[in-house]
Amino acid sequence: MKKIDRKDFLTLTGGAVVGGLTGTVFSGAPFDALQWLVEWTQDQHRPPVGREHFIRTVCDQCRDRCELSIRMSDDRAVMVQTSNTACPLGQNALQLLYHSERIQQPLKRDGRKGSGRWTPVSWDQALTDIAAKVREKAQANKRHLIAGISREYNLSSALLDRLVAALGSRNSYYEATLESLTTAALGGVPQYDFENTDYILSFGARILEGWGQPNSILKAFKGWKERGTRFVMAETNMSRTASLADEWVPVKPGTELFLALGIAYVLVREKGRNSAGTGFAGWVTYINDFTPEQVAGITGVSAEKIREIADAFSRAARPVAVCGRGIRGISSSAAEITAVYALNSLVNTRAASLSQFAGLGNPPMSQEASQSYDANEAKRGLDEFIKDGNFELVFINGANPLHRSVYGENLKAKLENAFVVSVMPLVNDTALYSDYILPSLSFLETRTSAGDAVTTPYGQSRPAGQALLDLAAKIDEVRGAFPWGGFAELVGNAPAMRPAGNFAFNNEALKSQITLLKKLISEDRNYPLSLIPCEHPLVGDGDGLAFPYVLKNIDNYTYSLGKLWVLINRQTADAEGVSEGERIDIESSRGEIGSVRAHLTDTVAPGVVAIPLGFGQRANTKYAEDKGVNPKEIMSAEIDPLTGCADWWLTRVKID
Amino acid sequence: MEHNESANITRKAPAMRRRWGMAIDLDKCTGCGNCAIACAQENNMPIFKDDSDLPKRVTFLDLMKVTNDRDAQYPNVHVAYIPKMCQQCEGNDPSDPKPPCVSVCPVVATDVGDDGVVSQVWSRCIGCRYCQSSCPYEARAFNWWKPRNEGRFQESLNPDVSIASRGTVVKCTFCSHIWKRERDKAVANGELDINAVLYTPACVASCPTGAMVFGDLNDPNSEVSRLSRDRRAFRLVHTIDEKPADEQKRLRGIKNYPNPKVYYLTSQQWIRDMQRFR
Repeated sequence: MKKIDRKDFLTLTGGAVVGGLTGTVFSGAPFDALQWLVEWTQDQHRPPVGREHFIRTVCDQCRDRCELSIRMSDDRAVMVQTSNTACPLGQNALQLLYHSERIQQPLKRDGRKGSGRWTPVSWDQALTDIAAKVREKAQANKRHLIAGISREYNLSSALLDRLVAALGSRNSYYEATLESLTTAALGGVPQYDFENTDYILSFGARILEGWGQPNSILKAFKGWKERGTRFVMAETNMSRTASLADEWVPVKPGTELFLALGIAYVLVREKGRNSAGTGFAGWVTYINDFTPEQVAGITGVSAEKIREIADAFSRAARPVAVCGRGIRGISSSAAEITAVYALNSLVNTRAASLSQFAGLGNPPMSQEASQSYDANEAKRGLDEFIKDGNFELVFINGANPLHRSVYGENLKAKLENAFVVSVMPLVNDTALYSDYILPSLSFLETRTSAGDAVTTPYGQSRPAGQALLDLAAKIDEVRGAFPWGGFAELVGNAPAMRPAGNFAFNNEALKSQITLLKKLISEDRNYPLSLIPCEHPLVGDGDGLAFPYVLKNIDNYTYSLGKLWVLINRQTADAEGVSEGERIDIESSRGEIGSVRAHLTDTVAPGVVAIPLGFGQRANTKYAEDKGVNPKEIMSAEIDPLTGCADWWLTRVKID
Repeated sequence: MEHNESANITRKAPAMRRRWGMAIDLDKCTGCGNCAIACAQENNMPIFKDDSDLPKRVTFLDLMKVTNDRDAQYPNVHVAYIPKMCQQCEGNDPSDPKPPCVSVCPVVATDVGDDGVVSQVWSRCIGCRYCQSSCPYEARAFNWWKPRNEGRFQESLNPDVSIASRGTVVKCTFCSHIWKRERDKAVANGELDINAVLYTPACVASCPTGAMVFGDLNDPNSEVSRLSRDRRAFRLVHTIDEKPADEQKRLRGIKNYPNPKVYYLTSQQWIRDMQRFR
């Protein structure tokens, strides 16, 4: 064997070094190292990469039930993908799913109410405690003091209604939504065939900005131009919906009802139209006071225009008149809902009908429960219940009446003295006054009619309906009323909508209300201005504010730099001595809110102050916390005789 | 003119493989905000407790609410929304694209690729913010703070988009990572011509009314290309478009115009008027 001399050694070593270096350079390792160095020094972060796949589900946040395809990276949901369907409610789903303030396990109050201090407890302990409280009320003959408040009609609220009824109480209430208000006023929820209608007459319903079931409306909207559908919008301020309409009919604040009555007058008295609604003969007698000429004085819409609209409406093949002012925060009087829906019935349109939520039916009751159920009457709606009703034990199912009701302060006082159980995924203002909070799930974590859940449930959270079933299982007397094996079993048989019967005019209630509303819209020397709400489409009436990506998209004349903005007409601001960007306080007969900044714009009517809803929450995560003011504190609190909810749309105010 | 000729001699870019562009029909836009939420979700927008300070917030897509209340009085007023993202400018000469931001970047963190998209490389950016001040559309955002997606929000982060560091400029890239993703899939499926692959950015995919259209402006048959030639089409504050052809030519000789690839369509004269000084 040849001995390795010095020269060979150097050659071999050199070759190894050169070869190694060349190999290293061509392997790309130095570049990777440099990249790593750059990222490390610059604090870059690349989210973990996983296997990409898609899971189909349906959005359960409204009755549209949009199909969604969730893009997954391993078991993380990273994007809500759709094929030109869904609305921001669906897009925000991931922010609720992965919210940094989701409740992980049941919370028990620790400290005084409203302090926001909690101790985590086990489900078993929480449910046992709550069940004991329920039994205590039942034994003390306080069944009628048990209540349930839900956000909207869905499966979990149907279960809550059933639980409350099985315990012998009629106190099941819903927050004021389009569904609950129209059901109270008409006996059903109007279903509009936006796809096939040829004439749409909206009375303040901002149907293109997230109102009702946004996806089906927006899908239909795509075809309106081609099909020659005419869209007429009656509204006080210029909104995007009004701007997209073929015609905007500006009305004086709060006078949509009278415009509807004026159009009804023309249809009945001048065109001889009739409605098949029960009590129509009585209702017609009120219309006599509302000739187009008189209505012109009230609404500011000329008599010719009223006749023109009535004419076009009656000539259309499938017209719809749409009621429910607002986007998500809906406020319309029963008289207005009736008058607008009466237009549909006067022209006998096929594009509008009423349907009801089927619910889960009446539960079997114990003798004591059924005695209590029969002996007590329910209030007509949530606001009336908060104001005049009594309760000692209340279940809050995803609702936030403390923030959204104009009687929030009254409710706060009553919640202080009651046993409160909240079922919700995030702690909102109302949940702050709970004794127990049971964590519920977003729809991405629950089984839907499309199939299994997209992701595993967060922490120990359960579907709201499952939490209620588990509670019922711990109360001997109501156990029999819940024969289902679990919430998943119920999901497939979710209560569907069913057609409602013919609608009726509730004349007595309507007559007094019309007189009252006439007074409200008349001049008031002490409070010369009209306060009406203008919602930000993404914020709605408050729920959206918990989502950071919503916060990112709020324009600077809604909320910026810690201040809520209100919109005031330029001339009015001049007369009041308010300049652009100035801080003002707003005062009504109920109180004062401030300070807000004024933006002067002619998109609002003279004499009007427009204020966004949904701000001024105390909780609902740190993103919504303490941002702006809540106008509901000073808004009109007159309770509607049919819906039992306050009609807060128009408030007489002055500014300071 | 001299400027253009010399530019042609020094650097003639190879033909664009794609010239991605967008058309947004404002007559169909209801301002629902779906595009803005989808964009934030897709591009891992940082989350802060209070993003209400508009000049300092980081978003790629700004849903601008506009009115004609400067020029009109109640009730002759209108309201519209303009979704505004990076307009993907190309400067006077599309074959040698020089958008205002690219020509000022000292570290080539932003450039125009052969797909027409103005790229932005977070990790290359040194945070001088020249590009941000030169952008005529205020489409660029600066990370004043370290981007945070605290707690469980991190679980919804998109693996295709890296999180920028503090002190860098970020902007919309027409979701070009989606194109890359789609091309990777095509390659895996045996497709050889990866540039034949089409894609849809997150905002366009989420638009419920079909107001946003995305495609290749080089392809005369694409919908976006057809819409860009529509009578209703205009580009944001790009008033040179309304001048006669020879006047446009003269003006381009003395100034570099942004020449964006995002077209807006409207039948409303006030939206055009609103963009002019009065």
